[in-house]
Amino acid sequence: MKSKLLFFILLAVYFSACDMLETHPYDVHITGERNLTNKNIQLIESQMQGKKTIRFAMISDTQRWYNATEDAVKAINVRNDIDFVIHGGDQSDFGATKEFIWMRDMFQKFRMPYVCLLGNHDCLGTGEDTYRAIYGNLNFAFTAGNTRFICLNTNAMEYDYSEPVPDFDFIEKELNNLIPEIEKTVFVMHVQPYDFTFNNNVAKIFQFYINQFPNVQFCLYGHGHRIAVDDLFNDGIIYYQCPCIDKRIYLLFTIKEDGNYDYETVEF
Amino acid sequence: MRLWNSKKVLLCLVWFATPFILKAQDDNTPYNIILSPNNINSLSPDTILLKKEDTTHRPTYDKRIHRYRRAWEALIPTHTKLQYAGGMGLLSWGIGWDYGKKGQWETDLLIGFIPRYSSQHFKMTITLKQNYIPWSIWLGDNFSLEPLTTGLYFNTVFSDDFWTSEPDRYPRGYYGFSTRIRTHIFLGQRIRFDVPERYRKFSRSITAFYELSTCDLYVVSAFNNSHLKPDDYLRLSFGLKFQIF
Repeated sequence: MKSKLLFFILLAVYFSACDMLETHPYDVHITGERNLTNKNIQLIESQMQGKKTIRFAMISDTQRWYNATEDAVKAINVRNDIDFVIHGGDQSDFGATKEFIWMRDMFQKFRMPYVCLLGNHDCLGTGEDTYRAIYGNLNFAFTAGNTRFICLNTNAMEYDYSEPVPDFDFIEKELNNLIPEIEKTVFVMHVQPYDFTFNNNVAKIFQFYINQFPNVQFCLYGHGHRIAVDDLFNDGIIYYQCPCIDKRIYLLFTIKEDGNYDYETVEF
Repeated sequence: MRLWNSKKVLLCLVWFATPFILKAQDDNTPYNIILSPNNINSLSPDTILLKKEDTTHRPTYDKRIHRYRRAWEALIPTHTKLQYAGGMGLLSWGIGWDYGKKGQWETDLLIGFIPRYSSQHFKMTITLKQNYIPWSIWLGDNFSLEPLTTGLYFNTVFSDDFWTSEPDRYPRGYYGFSTRIRTHIFLGQRIRFDVPERYRKFSRSITAFYELSTCDLYVVSAFNNSHLKPDDYLRLSFGLKFQIF
């Protein structure tokens, strides 16, 4: 009995020691769950099939606020009415591999599916590689009930023209592949148009494309660490900014069958 | 702002050698013994003593050459080191120097590699490591324990993914840190085995060590976040040191 106990203790020590053997802070050596965007999208799409009312929470900019993020996960988990959670990007501050793993291990405690966008801080060092490995593509979209959620990488400054950001090919593909069941659209991004890290030369074209989509409800973004509600282009499409997690607020949206939606800020 | 001109760099390279300047090779002891009056008297009368004409002897030249040799000799590494993990690469190897009255200081220059894992490519790293080993306890049977080693190391990565100072595309000081240069601090223990002379091949002694370390990014992350536990931000590392001389 005693030797068995000792064996398990040694085993536990061995495994924790293995985790403590780090090659490099930016090594992109990922243990545990990967490819989470696709896994969660499948969950969202199957769970939300046929639903007309969608309620989701949004958190953003959780970098280096581990205690606050942990509290946010707990606060969202105690509710039973949230279908899924969107993270607006910047889960890491330095792009270090462990930052992503620490955050992922917290998000994995969500009782509902969640998706994470790429923030500008997530691009630093090998951060983008880590993001790709743990979550997946930088641009992605999913259907929740009758609403298409289009999540875009808008961190143009990080790419310095080396890649098309925002990727209009992706947006156009989404536009061309819309199915009739999709009645509404929501756009999510990390950086909003007219922020200096956005490619502002295409801000109006970006908005032009957004306006091609059916029934755009609103656009969501993070990055600025504060609450903001703006009609950025004076065309009736509202951009909601999700504050950083340090403000201990998450946004709650309810897209309703009657064509309206509710916007709430929830303190925790 | 040229802080480092060539003279200063040269001075830095040789300054530690300067206190060791010894008397150059102008020792006349053998001559003194042979040529002392007593010895001359004891020599048989028909001995012819030929004293070489001292035309090539240049004391200042000898001194300079001696100093020059001492300076370069001080650069001969006294040990090699192999280190596993510790945020400086999967495996790092390098050379190092022991110095100080009790050899309590060590400086290492290590080269390591990071496997590709899930990133785009394999990477090389270079580490400059400073160790302080205040005590050594003789355990007997050629073993000694060094109950505390501490110090810090700087690591740099060779990859285009990183920058030392922010590229021009960012406003000045936007991120305010270098993704390339990491500063690490460590605490550890070592055990040394002195190789008995008859078994010595390359090493005078072999030291095995382990270290607990953390880096700047993890220190600031752990600050104010009780969510992160020591096994999150501390890392374990193992290594071997081979003392050449």
